[in-house]
Amino acid sequence: MVLTLIILYVITLIYLSTVERFRNYASIIAWQGWILLGIALLQLHTLNWVELGFVILETLIFKALVVPAILMNVIKKTNINRVSTSGTSQFNSQMLSIAALIVSAITTYYVADSSVHMLFFGVALYALLSGLILIVLRSRIFTHVVGFLVIENGVFLFSMAIGVEMPILINMAIMLDILISILMLGMFLTKVDDKIHADDSDSLTRVKD
Amino acid sequence: MIYFYFLLWLAIAATTLAARSRRVVHILCGCYLTIHAVFIEQLLFGGEYLTTSGIFFTFDEAGTLFYILLAIVALFVFWHSEEYLKDDAIEHYRLYFSLLMLLTTAITGVYFANNIAITWILLEATTLCGAGILYYRRSKPTLEATWKYLFVCSTGIAIAYLGILLLCAAAENSSLNYTELQGIIAQGNPLYLKVAFILILTGYSCKMEIFPLYTIGVDANFAAPAPASAMISTGLVNAGFLAIFRIYRLFADTPVFGWVQNVMLLTGILSLIVGALFLRRTNNYKRFLSYSTVENMGIAAIGLGIGGTGVWAAVFHVVCHSLIKSSLFLQIGIVRHIYNGYRINRIGDYININKVGAIGLLVGMVVILAFPPSPLFISELMILSETITAGDWWLTALMMLLMCIVIYSVCHRVIKLCYQPNQDELHISNINRRLSYSALILMLGAIVIGLWQPEPLKAIIDSIVNM
Repeated sequence: MVLTLIILYVITLIYLSTVERFRNYASIIAWQGWILLGIALLQLHTLNWVELGFVILETLIFKALVVPAILMNVIKKTNINRVSTSGTSQFNSQMLSIAALIVSAITTYYVADSSVHMLFFGVALYALLSGLILIVLRSRIFTHVVGFLVIENGVFLFSMAIGVEMPILINMAIMLDILISILMLGMFLTKVDDKIHADDSDSLTRVKD
Repeated sequence: MIYFYFLLWLAIAATTLAARSRRVVHILCGCYLTIHAVFIEQLLFGGEYLTTSGIFFTFDEAGTLFYILLAIVALFVFWHSEEYLKDDAIEHYRLYFSLLMLLTTAITGVYFANNIAITWILLEATTLCGAGILYYRRSKPTLEATWKYLFVCSTGIAIAYLGILLLCAAAENSSLNYTELQGIIAQGNPLYLKVAFILILTGYSCKMEIFPLYTIGVDANFAAPAPASAMISTGLVNAGFLAIFRIYRLFADTPVFGWVQNVMLLTGILSLIVGALFLRRTNNYKRFLSYSTVENMGIAAIGLGIGGTGVWAAVFHVVCHSLIKSSLFLQIGIVRHIYNGYRINRIGDYININKVGAIGLLVGMVVILAFPPSPLFISELMILSETITAGDWWLTALMMLLMCIVIYSVCHRVIKLCYQPNQDELHISNINRRLSYSALILMLGAIVIGLWQPEPLKAIIDSIVNM
């Protein structure tokens, strides 16, 4: 079952490199939240209500519902629907994504040892690379936020790869930090669109030497 | 104990947000700083020094030293901020002070955190508070700088978190306590340890203002009001330094420590190159001071990279840099009030407009360039001696060359401000010599340390180095 979910997660990452509409980006992030919920529930060793509650809060409420809602709200407010044409082509983006997948698989094969879950490690690495590719290749700043969220999801998967069980207080604080940063990113993205009318990162050139 | 103080500070910050007059804001700022003074008194004389508070905080030597520095700088930053922003709307004014209090509180937490995850959480919190301060002017450039700061810091910190997780994997332990990790990390997978260090260094570099994510710090200092820049360029930079330094010490007993030192050395050299070259290029005095921070943090990183007495020199360098750079940023804030801008090629004749401020900048120029009696002279000399002792002549030559460029650039720019004919509109009524004198106090403090290092300071740095 976990394998199926992991494959689904990889598919969302590949699909991410092909989409152009912002609503699709928000949907993919929501889907990733649901998949991560499934994976996290299957990874629970014992039925601990506090742990279960936190998993639901972090994946279902936060990753699958709140964050996509913030993204949808930003799309609605900014009225930007597609990635910029000035970015790289879909084909190149797909090729790079597949190359990242191959690199992740090879790296995992050679690097992962017994202390990490190989499958999670590889997919987390792929998620990290996908996020970075999205940030580097796409010029719309909305896509950069999506790239950041993909990296965050990759980090979440990675924490499962190494089986770290941090105190609930630390987990809550980390989640709160990330949630506030996403809220602020969404808020400032809307302001950038309002004030500077710059939806492309290429237009953000006022602050430089 | 610290939790009680955190609650007090947060309560004051929240109350400030609801303040209806400047007077109330000033009173709350006074309360906030007084609580810091009480906390320091309890730390030093109340027997709390070197004890643990709860499970996440320890009042160790490094945290205490940098915290005392932070409190000193904060006192001046709050005072200058009150004058600097006195004509602004109360809504912005109270929000600024509330965020400044939150930033100072988050930095305090970073200094005393004994757990990597807590350090990470509080560093991310500094990003969120800092972003609010950066957007204070609500202009297009500050909005752009805020966006970049928020996005790059958040991504950088996420990458650092990945490094922390990898460190856990290498240690095969979920405990993120620095002391506990130190004992078990030596047996970790060397490859994981290396990658973890690179990721953490990359992530935290946005806070310490070193290569590769130094640009964000420069943009932050550019966008924030000058007194807040003094806090960002010292208190926050020190938080980044301490976060990296604790990881550096963690790796000291591992087989990859030599590699870690080489990475620090390379990072330091690249930061020094960037700082030296951009000091020449920029046309804004605040960005100019920020690149000077990049350059000085680069020197500190080189100190950590070469090891030996270089580590002592690095800590001493960062401590003294805090006093010098905060003084310079506060002085440059007064410059903005007079010229209404920071354009290097436009403003000048400062010596005839505000003699005290100009002297403050000229003295600051001598001290930041590490000419005696600057304390930076001692640290840079120690680092250079260590490179010569190690036989790294190429490094000595490169550092000397880059420092020559820095000396030329800084002298050229500061002398220009004091003596070139002014081409911009003047606001003479805004001259506040009291503020210029007060900023000079920090500089004098640095000079005193350059002439005479008190035994407690030497002892505390010795303990930090042997932590």
